[in-house]
Amino acid sequence: MTCDKYDNALLLAAASNGELDAKLARHLERCSTCRMTLRSERELLSRIDSALRAQVNEDPRPGFMAQLRLQLSKELTARPGSDRVWHVAGAALALVLIAMFYPLVNARRSSAQGDLQKPTIKVPQRAGVTQSARAIEDLGVRSRHHSKRPAVQSAVPQEPEVLVPPDEQKAFAQFVACVARRDTIAQAVVTPAANKIVNMTTELPRVSSVDIADLQLGRARQKEWIDQTGISE
Amino acid sequence: MQEFTWPGRTAETELASDLEKAALRREFEQRLEECGTLAFRVARGVLRNAADAEDVAQEAILRSYRRFARLRDHSRFRAWLVRISFRLALDHGRSARRREQRETAWATDLPTPTAEDIAASNEFGRRLQEAMAALSEKSRLVLLLTSMDGHSLEEVAEILRLPVGTVKSRLHSARKQLAEKLR
Repeated sequence: MTCDKYDNALLLAAASNGELDAKLARHLERCSTCRMTLRSERELLSRIDSALRAQVNEDPRPGFMAQLRLQLSKELTARPGSDRVWHVAGAALALVLIAMFYPLVNARRSSAQGDLQKPTIKVPQRAGVTQSARAIEDLGVRSRHHSKRPAVQSAVPQEPEVLVPPDEQKAFAQFVACVARRDTIAQAVVTPAANKIVNMTTELPRVSSVDIADLQLGRARQKEWIDQTGISE
Repeated sequence: MQEFTWPGRTAETELASDLEKAALRREFEQRLEECGTLAFRVARGVLRNAADAEDVAQEAILRSYRRFARLRDHSRFRAWLVRISFRLALDHGRSARRREQRETAWATDLPTPTAEDIAASNEFGRRLQEAMAALSEKSRLVLLLTSMDGHSLEEVAEILRLPVGTVKSRLHSARKQLAEKLR
Protein backbone atom coordinates (compact mmCIF):
# COMPACT_ATOMS: atom_id res chain seq x y z
CA MET A 1 0.00 0.00 0.00
CA THR A 2 1.37 3.40 -0.98
CA CYS A 3 0.14 5.12 2.26
CA ASP A 4 2.24 2.88 4.53
CA LYS A 5 5.25 5.16 4.23
CA TYR A 6 3.20 8.01 5.76
CA ASP A 7 2.29 6.09 8.91
CA ASN A 8 5.16 7.37 10.95
CA ALA A 9 4.86 10.88 9.57
CA LEU A 10 1.16 10.94 10.43
CA LEU A 11 1.77 9.82 13.97
CA LEU A 12 4.55 12.34 14.41
CA ALA A 13 2.35 15.06 12.99
CA ALA A 14 -0.42 14.17 15.42
CA ALA A 15 2.00 13.96 18.36
CA SER A 16 3.70 17.27 17.59
CA ASN A 17 0.48 19.23 17.06
CA GLY A 18 2.43 21.39 14.67
CA GLU A 19 2.23 22.38 11.05
CA LEU A 20 2.22 19.54 8.57
CA ASP A 21 5.11 18.77 6.33
CA ALA A 22 4.46 20.09 2.78
CA LYS A 23 4.79 16.67 1.21
CA LEU A 24 2.45 15.09 3.78
CA ALA A 25 -0.02 17.95 3.39
CA ARG A 26 -0.12 17.40 -0.38
CA HIS A 27 -0.71 13.70 0.19
CA LEU A 28 -3.50 14.34 2.68
CA GLU A 29 -5.29 16.55 0.16
CA ARG A 30 -5.52 13.54 -2.11
CA CYS A 31 -5.85 10.65 0.38
CA SER A 32 -8.99 10.40 2.51
CA THR A 33 -7.69 7.27 4.33
CA CYS A 34 -4.67 9.12 5.66
CA ARG A 35 -6.87 12.06 6.64
CA MET A 36 -8.97 9.60 8.67
CA THR A 37 -5.83 8.08 10.20
CA LEU A 38 -4.52 11.51 11.18
CA ARG A 39 -7.86 12.40 12.73
CA SER A 40 -7.98 9.17 14.75
CA GLU A 41 -4.39 9.64 15.90
CA ARG A 42 -5.22 13.15 17.05
CA GLU A 43 -8.29 11.89 18.89
CA LEU A 44 -6.23 9.24 20.61
CA LEU A 45 -3.60 11.75 21.64
CA SER A 46 -6.25 14.14 22.84
CA ARG A 47 -7.67 11.33 24.99
CA ILE A 48 -4.24 10.58 26.33
CA ASP A 49 -3.69 14.26 27.11
CA SER A 50 -6.98 14.63 28.94
CA ALA A 51 -6.36 11.46 30.95
CA LEU A 52 -2.90 12.69 31.86
CA ARG A 53 -4.14 16.17 32.74
CA ALA A 54 -6.90 14.73 34.91
CA GLN A 55 -4.37 12.64 36.77
CA VAL A 56 -1.63 15.24 37.07
CA ASN A 57 -3.76 18.25 37.92
CA GLU A 58 -5.59 16.58 40.73
CA ASP A 59 -5.43 18.62 43.93
CA PRO A 60 -4.46 17.06 47.22
CA ARG A 61 -7.24 16.65 49.76
CA PRO A 62 -7.93 19.78 51.86
CA GLY A 63 -6.20 18.54 55.00
CA PHE A 64 -2.95 17.77 53.20
CA MET A 65 -1.29 21.16 53.63
CA ALA A 66 -2.25 21.34 57.31
CA GLN A 67 -0.78 17.89 57.84
CA LEU A 68 2.37 18.95 56.02
CA ARG A 69 2.78 22.02 58.25
CA LEU A 70 2.32 19.85 61.32
CA GLN A 71 5.01 17.48 60.13
CA LEU A 72 7.33 20.41 59.43
CA SER A 73 6.88 21.86 62.91
CA LYS A 74 7.57 18.41 64.39
CA GLU A 75 10.68 18.28 62.28
CA LEU A 76 11.76 21.69 63.50
CA THR A 77 11.44 20.75 67.16
CA ALA A 78 13.08 17.38 66.66
CA ARG A 79 16.00 18.54 64.58
CA PRO A 80 18.23 20.37 67.09
CA GLY A 81 18.22 17.36 69.39
CA SER A 82 18.89 14.95 66.61
CA ASP A 83 21.67 17.24 65.36
CA ARG A 84 23.30 17.11 68.75
CA VAL A 85 22.98 13.37 68.95
CA TRP A 86 24.69 13.08 65.58
CA HIS A 87 27.44 15.47 66.63
CA VAL A 88 28.13 13.48 69.78
CA ALA A 89 27.99 10.20 67.87
CA GLY A 90 30.38 11.62 65.28
CA ALA A 91 32.83 12.81 67.92
CA ALA A 92 32.72 9.41 69.65
CA LEU A 93 33.32 7.64 66.36
CA ALA A 94 36.26 9.93 65.61
CA LEU A 95 37.79 9.16 69.01
CA VAL A 96 37.39 5.43 68.49
CA LEU A 97 39.00 5.67 65.07
CA ILE A 98 41.91 7.69 66.44
CA ALA A 99 42.40 5.16 69.25
CA MET A 100 42.38 2.35 66.72
CA PHE A 101 44.70 3.84 64.15
CA TYR A 102 47.11 5.93 66.25
CA PRO A 103 49.33 2.97 67.31
CA LEU A 104 49.46 1.78 63.73
CA VAL A 105 50.47 5.19 62.42
CA ASN A 106 52.97 5.65 65.22
CA ALA A 107 54.58 2.28 64.53
CA ARG A 108 54.86 3.13 60.86
CA ARG A 109 56.44 6.47 61.65
CA SER A 110 58.99 4.96 64.00
CA SER A 111 59.86 2.24 61.50
CA ALA A 112 60.31 4.92 58.86
CA GLN A 113 62.67 6.80 61.19
CA GLY A 114 64.49 3.54 61.86
CA ASP A 115 65.04 3.09 58.15
CA LEU A 116 66.58 6.52 57.94
CA GLN A 117 69.02 5.86 60.79
CA LYS A 118 70.43 2.64 59.36
CA PRO A 119 72.86 1.09 59.78
CA THR A 120 72.42 0.55 63.52
CA ILE A 121 73.22 -2.34 65.79
CA LYS A 122 70.50 -3.26 68.20
CA VAL A 123 71.53 -4.41 71.64
CA PRO A 124 68.87 -6.72 73.00
CA GLN A 125 68.37 -6.68 76.75
CA ARG A 126 69.19 -10.13 78.05
CA ALA A 127 69.26 -11.05 81.67
CA GLY A 128 72.44 -12.54 83.06
CA VAL A 129 74.73 -11.42 80.31
CA THR A 130 77.31 -8.68 80.74
CA GLN A 131 77.12 -5.62 78.56
CA SER A 132 80.46 -6.31 76.94
CA ALA A 133 79.55 -9.90 76.16
CA ARG A 134 76.27 -8.73 74.63
CA ALA A 135 78.07 -6.18 72.54
CA ILE A 136 80.52 -8.76 71.29
CA GLU A 137 77.80 -11.27 70.56
CA ASP A 138 75.69 -8.75 68.74
CA LEU A 139 78.57 -7.59 66.68
CA GLY A 140 79.27 -11.21 65.89
CA VAL A 141 83.02 -10.79 65.87
CA ARG A 142 84.83 -13.94 66.87
CA SER A 143 88.29 -13.99 68.22
CA ARG A 144 90.59 -16.62 69.72
CA HIS A 145 89.68 -15.50 73.25
CA HIS A 146 86.04 -15.33 72.45
CA SER A 147 85.93 -19.00 71.50
CA LYS A 148 87.49 -19.85 74.85
CA ARG A 149 84.56 -18.52 76.85
CA PRO A 150 82.22 -21.49 77.23
CA ALA A 151 80.12 -20.01 80.05
CA VAL A 152 79.31 -16.82 78.20
CA GLN A 153 78.78 -18.57 74.91
CA SER A 154 76.29 -20.98 76.40
CA ALA A 155 74.27 -18.07 77.80
CA VAL A 156 74.21 -16.09 74.58
CA PRO A 157 72.56 -17.54 71.51
CA GLN A 158 74.37 -17.31 68.22
CA GLU A 159 73.48 -14.12 66.36
CA PRO A 160 74.05 -13.34 62.71
CA GLU A 161 77.46 -11.82 62.13
CA VAL A 162 77.91 -8.15 61.47
CA LEU A 163 80.79 -7.33 59.22
CA VAL A 164 83.33 -4.81 60.45
CA PRO A 165 84.93 -2.54 57.85
CA PRO A 166 88.43 -3.81 56.90
CA ASP A 167 90.29 -0.78 58.22
CA GLU A 168 88.66 -1.20 61.65
CA GLN A 169 89.01 -4.95 61.95
CA LYS A 170 92.39 -4.90 63.65
CA ALA A 171 91.39 -2.33 66.23
CA PHE A 172 88.15 -4.12 66.84
CA ALA A 173 89.86 -7.45 67.30
CA GLN A 174 92.09 -5.85 69.95
CA PHE A 175 89.06 -4.44 71.68
CA VAL A 176 87.31 -7.80 71.61
CA ALA A 177 90.40 -9.52 72.94
CA CYS A 178 90.67 -7.02 75.75
CA VAL A 179 87.04 -7.45 76.73
CA ALA A 180 87.28 -11.20 76.47
CA ARG A 181 90.33 -11.24 78.72
CA ARG A 182 88.47 -9.22 81.32
CA ASP A 183 85.53 -11.61 81.05
CA THR A 184 87.84 -14.58 81.54
CA ILE A 185 89.27 -13.01 84.65
CA ALA A 186 85.81 -12.18 85.93
CA GLN A 187 84.69 -15.70 85.21
CA ALA A 188 87.63 -17.15 87.10
CA VAL A 189 86.88 -14.95 90.12
CA VAL A 190 83.17 -15.71 90.18
CA THR A 191 83.34 -19.46 89.47
CA PRO A 192 84.01 -21.52 92.62
CA ALA A 193 87.06 -23.69 92.07
CA ALA A 194 86.65 -26.74 94.34
CA ASN A 195 89.49 -28.83 93.06
CA LYS A 196 91.66 -25.94 92.22
CA ILE A 197 94.28 -24.54 94.58
CA VAL A 198 94.97 -20.93 94.07
CA ASN A 199 98.30 -19.70 95.33
CA MET A 200 97.60 -16.40 96.93
CA THR A 201 100.47 -14.29 98.15
CA THR A 202 100.10 -11.73 100.83
CA GLU A 203 103.12 -9.84 99.63
CA LEU A 204 102.55 -6.33 98.38
CA PRO A 205 104.07 -5.40 95.06
CA ARG A 206 107.48 -3.93 95.47
CA VAL A 207 108.15 -0.52 94.06
CA SER A 208 111.64 0.79 93.65
CA SER A 209 112.44 4.14 95.28
CA VAL A 210 111.69 7.21 93.30
CA ASP A 211 114.22 10.00 93.12
CA ILE A 212 112.84 13.45 92.68
CA ALA A 213 115.41 15.77 91.21
CA ASP A 214 115.37 19.56 91.19
CA LEU A 215 114.16 21.31 88.15
CA GLN A 216 117.21 22.03 86.07
CA LEU A 217 116.79 25.30 84.26
CA GLY A 218 119.18 27.76 82.83
CA ARG A 219 119.65 31.13 84.49
CA ALA A 220 117.82 33.10 81.87
CA ARG A 221 114.97 30.52 81.60
CA GLN A 222 114.67 30.42 85.42
CA LYS A 223 114.29 34.21 85.56
CA GLU A 224 111.70 34.13 82.86
CA TRP A 225 109.77 31.43 84.69
CA ILE A 226 109.85 33.44 87.92
CA ASP A 227 108.56 36.49 86.09
CA GLN A 228 105.69 34.50 84.61
CA THR A 229 104.59 32.70 87.78
CA GLY A 230 105.47 35.45 90.25
CA ILE A 231 107.21 32.99 92.61
CA SER A 232 110.45 34.15 94.19
CA GLU A 233 113.11 31.84 95.52
CA MET B 1 20.29 21.97 84.14
CA GLN B 2 22.67 24.03 82.05
CA GLU B 3 22.33 23.38 78.34
CA PHE B 4 25.28 21.76 76.63
CA THR B 5 27.25 23.97 74.26
CA TRP B 6 30.11 22.99 72.02
CA PRO B 7 33.48 24.56 72.75
CA GLY B 8 33.97 27.73 70.76
CA ARG B 9 30.24 28.35 70.40
CA THR B 10 29.21 31.48 72.12
CA ALA B 11 25.75 32.86 72.78
CA GLU B 12 26.23 35.22 69.82
CA THR B 13 26.98 32.43 67.36
CA GLU B 14 24.03 30.43 68.73
CA LEU B 15 21.79 33.43 68.27
CA ALA B 16 23.06 34.06 64.74
CA SER B 17 22.50 30.42 63.90
CA ASP B 18 18.96 30.52 65.30
CA LEU B 19 18.18 33.68 63.34
CA GLU B 20 19.50 32.12 60.17
CA LYS B 21 17.39 29.02 60.73
CA ALA B 22 14.30 31.11 61.39
CA ALA B 23 14.88 33.09 58.18
CA LEU B 24 15.31 29.88 56.18
CA ARG B 25 12.15 28.46 57.66
CA ARG B 26 10.16 31.59 56.77
CA GLU B 27 11.49 31.43 53.23
CA PHE B 28 10.61 27.75 52.99
CA GLU B 29 7.07 28.31 54.30
CA GLN B 30 6.52 31.01 51.70
CA ARG B 31 7.19 28.44 49.02
CA LEU B 32 5.32 25.66 50.71
CA GLU B 33 1.78 26.41 49.49
CA GLU B 34 2.76 26.32 45.84
CA CYS B 35 5.41 23.63 46.15
CA GLY B 36 3.30 21.28 48.27
CA THR B 37 0.79 21.02 45.46
CA LEU B 38 3.55 20.71 42.86
CA ALA B 39 5.15 17.81 44.75
CA PHE B 40 1.78 16.11 45.09
CA ARG B 41 1.02 16.48 41.40
CA VAL B 42 4.36 15.11 40.27
CA ALA B 43 3.89 12.12 42.56
CA ARG B 44 0.29 11.68 41.43
CA GLY B 45 1.45 11.59 37.82
CA VAL B 46 3.61 8.60 38.62
CA LEU B 47 1.48 6.77 41.17
CA ARG B 48 -1.93 5.24 40.81
CA ASN B 49 -3.65 6.62 43.87
CA ALA B 50 -3.82 9.93 45.68
CA ALA B 51 -3.01 8.56 49.12
CA ASP B 52 0.36 7.22 47.97
CA ALA B 53 1.03 10.50 46.18
CA GLU B 54 0.36 12.42 49.39
CA ASP B 55 2.80 10.25 51.32
CA VAL B 56 5.45 10.75 48.68
CA ALA B 57 4.83 14.49 48.47
CA GLN B 58 5.11 14.80 52.25
CA GLU B 59 8.38 12.90 52.28
CA ALA B 60 9.71 15.01 49.40
CA ILE B 61 8.80 18.24 51.20
CA LEU B 62 10.42 17.10 54.44
CA ARG B 63 13.59 16.06 52.64
CA SER B 64 13.77 19.32 50.77
CA TYR B 65 13.26 21.21 54.04
CA ARG B 66 16.12 19.33 55.68
CA ARG B 67 18.43 20.21 52.82
CA PHE B 68 17.07 23.66 52.07
CA ALA B 69 19.96 25.42 53.82
CA ARG B 70 22.42 23.59 51.58
CA LEU B 71 20.70 24.70 48.38
CA ARG B 72 22.89 27.48 47.03
CA ASP B 73 20.48 28.93 44.49
CA HIS B 74 17.07 29.10 46.12
CA SER B 75 15.46 30.05 42.83
CA ARG B 76 16.17 26.46 41.76
CA PHE B 77 13.96 25.14 44.53
CA ARG B 78 11.03 24.17 42.30
CA ALA B 79 13.20 22.17 39.93
CA TRP B 80 14.89 20.54 42.87
CA LEU B 81 11.59 19.59 44.51
CA VAL B 82 10.24 18.23 41.23
CA ARG B 83 13.23 15.95 40.90
CA ILE B 84 13.03 14.75 44.51
CA SER B 85 9.29 14.08 44.21
CA PHE B 86 9.64 12.29 40.88
CA ARG B 87 12.42 10.05 42.11
CA LEU B 88 10.65 9.23 45.37
CA ALA B 89 7.45 8.47 43.48
CA LEU B 90 9.28 6.11 41.14
CA ASP B 91 10.86 4.32 44.10
CA HIS B 92 7.53 4.16 45.88
CA GLY B 93 5.86 2.78 42.74
CA ARG B 94 8.48 0.06 42.39
CA SER B 95 8.23 -1.03 46.01
CA ALA B 96 4.41 -0.90 45.85
CA ARG B 97 4.46 -3.19 42.82
CA ARG B 98 6.72 -5.63 44.64
CA ARG B 99 4.48 -5.52 47.71
CA GLU B 100 1.44 -6.06 45.55
CA GLN B 101 3.03 -9.09 43.92
CA ARG B 102 3.87 -10.56 47.32
CA GLU B 103 0.41 -9.93 48.71
CA THR B 104 -1.47 -11.31 45.73
CA ALA B 105 0.68 -14.41 45.84
CA TRP B 106 -0.16 -15.08 49.49
CA ALA B 107 -3.50 -13.45 50.19
CA THR B 108 -6.62 -15.59 50.14
CA ASP B 109 -9.14 -12.79 50.66
CA LEU B 110 -8.44 -9.78 48.51
CA PRO B 111 -9.60 -6.40 49.92
CA THR B 112 -12.74 -4.88 48.48
CA PRO B 113 -11.74 -2.40 45.76
CA THR B 114 -12.39 1.25 46.53
CA ALA B 115 -13.96 3.71 44.11
CA GLU B 116 -10.49 4.94 43.27
CA ASP B 117 -9.34 1.42 42.46
CA ILE B 118 -12.34 0.91 40.23
CA ALA B 119 -11.56 4.14 38.40
CA ALA B 120 -7.92 3.11 38.05
CA SER B 121 -8.95 -0.25 36.74
CA ASN B 122 -10.60 1.48 33.83
CA GLU B 123 -9.19 -0.19 30.76
CA PHE B 124 -7.85 2.91 29.09
CA GLY B 125 -6.41 4.22 32.33
CA ARG B 126 -4.68 0.91 32.99
CA ARG B 127 -3.17 0.77 29.53
CA LEU B 128 -2.09 4.38 29.81
CA GLN B 129 -0.34 3.63 33.10
CA GLU B 130 1.45 0.70 31.52
CA ALA B 131 2.48 2.76 28.53
CA MET B 132 3.71 5.54 30.81
CA ALA B 133 5.75 3.07 32.85
CA ALA B 134 7.45 1.87 29.69
CA LEU B 135 8.68 5.38 28.86
CA SER B 136 12.14 6.51 29.81
CA GLU B 137 12.32 8.57 33.00
CA LYS B 138 13.40 11.68 31.10
CA SER B 139 10.47 11.49 28.68
CA ARG B 140 8.06 10.68 31.47
CA LEU B 141 9.06 13.68 33.54
CA VAL B 142 8.72 15.99 30.55
CA LEU B 143 5.29 14.56 29.77
CA LEU B 144 4.09 14.98 33.36
CA LEU B 145 5.35 18.53 33.71
CA THR B 146 3.94 19.67 30.39
CA SER B 147 0.58 18.12 31.31
CA MET B 148 0.39 20.19 34.47
CA ASP B 149 -1.69 23.36 34.35
CA GLY B 150 0.32 26.51 33.95
CA HIS B 151 3.50 24.84 32.76
CA SER B 152 4.53 26.05 29.35
CA LEU B 153 7.34 24.41 27.40
CA GLU B 154 9.62 27.28 28.39
CA GLU B 155 8.86 26.80 32.07
CA VAL B 156 9.43 23.07 31.86
CA ALA B 157 12.72 23.75 30.08
CA GLU B 158 13.68 26.15 32.86
CA ILE B 159 12.75 23.65 35.59
CA LEU B 160 14.68 20.84 33.93
CA ARG B 161 17.50 23.12 32.80
CA LEU B 162 17.16 21.92 29.24
CA PRO B 163 16.88 23.75 25.93
CA VAL B 164 13.27 24.25 24.78
CA GLY B 165 14.03 22.24 21.65
CA THR B 166 15.09 19.23 23.70
CA VAL B 167 11.94 19.43 25.81
CA LYS B 168 9.83 19.66 22.67
CA SER B 169 11.47 16.67 21.01
CA ARG B 170 11.19 14.57 24.19
CA LEU B 171 7.54 15.48 24.49
CA HIS B 172 6.74 14.56 20.90
CA SER B 173 8.65 11.34 21.18
CA ALA B 174 6.83 10.41 24.41
CA ARG B 175 3.42 11.19 22.96
CA LYS B 176 4.21 9.18 19.85
CA GLN B 177 5.27 6.19 21.94
CA LEU B 178 2.08 6.40 24.00
CA ALA B 179 -0.08 6.60 20.91
CA GLU B 180 1.67 3.59 19.39
CA LYS B 181 0.95 1.54 22.49
CA LEU B 182 -2.63 2.69 22.94
CA ARG B 183 -3.86 2.36 19.35
